Amino acid sequence: MLALTRKVGEQIIIGDNIVITVVDVKGDGVRLGIDAPREIRIYRGEIYQAVVAENKEATVPLDVGCLNVLKDIVKIPSKKNG
Amino acid sequence: MVIKSTRLGKLDVPKDLIIKFPMGLLGFNDEVLFALVPQGENSPFAFLQSASDPDLTFFVVEPFTFFSDYEFELNEEYQQELELVDSSQVKIYNIVTIKDKVEEMTANLLAPVIVNMETKTARQVVLEKVTYSTRHRIFPQGLSHSADGGDK
Repeated sequence: MLALTRKVGEQIIIGDNIVITVVDVKGDGVRLGIDAPREIRIYRGEIYQAVVAENKEATVPLDVGCLNVLKDIVKIPSKKNG
Repeated sequence: MVIKSTRLGKLDVPKDLIIKFPMGLLGFNDEVLFALVPQGENSPFAFLQSASDPDLTFFVVEPFTFFSDYEFELNEEYQQELELVDSSQVKIYNIVTIKDKVEEMTANLLAPVIVNMETKTARQVVLEKVTYSTRHRIFPQGLSHSADGGDK
């Protein structure tokens, strides 16, 4: 992994269109500003990883027969709130 | 379209139930085509079966039957990406995790799957500024209370 030392106000440029600016440092917190094209999604690492982990755990059990107990449940339509 | 599933067998899926996920699902970025197979005609549950991997099946739920006050705002970038102009085009599903007991299964309300039912394009979205987590019990009082349980 590349590790760079930066000061407040300094930047890192990734590729041609992602700019990360160190906005503020307080204690052990660092505030970063990120400029990136709209199609680049930006996530907090731990939240992204939690969703990936949940997806990996969510694959259906091999015996789908256990889901038959749900068959009589009827959908309640969503409230449309415009 | 014929799709093979280890769990559901050989499926002949009508075209309107084939959903594209151009970005895949988080952690499964290469899986771009899924069949959305409802568990029953009026069931809030459905299977999301990968078209390319017979072994990859998710179980999903339409949330409002169980989480009647579930709400979030979809940011503009996602709306543009999914070409959403009207809420009637949208269907929302949440991926279900089943550990040991079916009645203890949970829904991922933090990262819903948003489907544009007109273009048959979908994306899993990680919500921001919400208090939802990846695990909300669908039957907090067990299965006997079924659909009138939910997260009140």
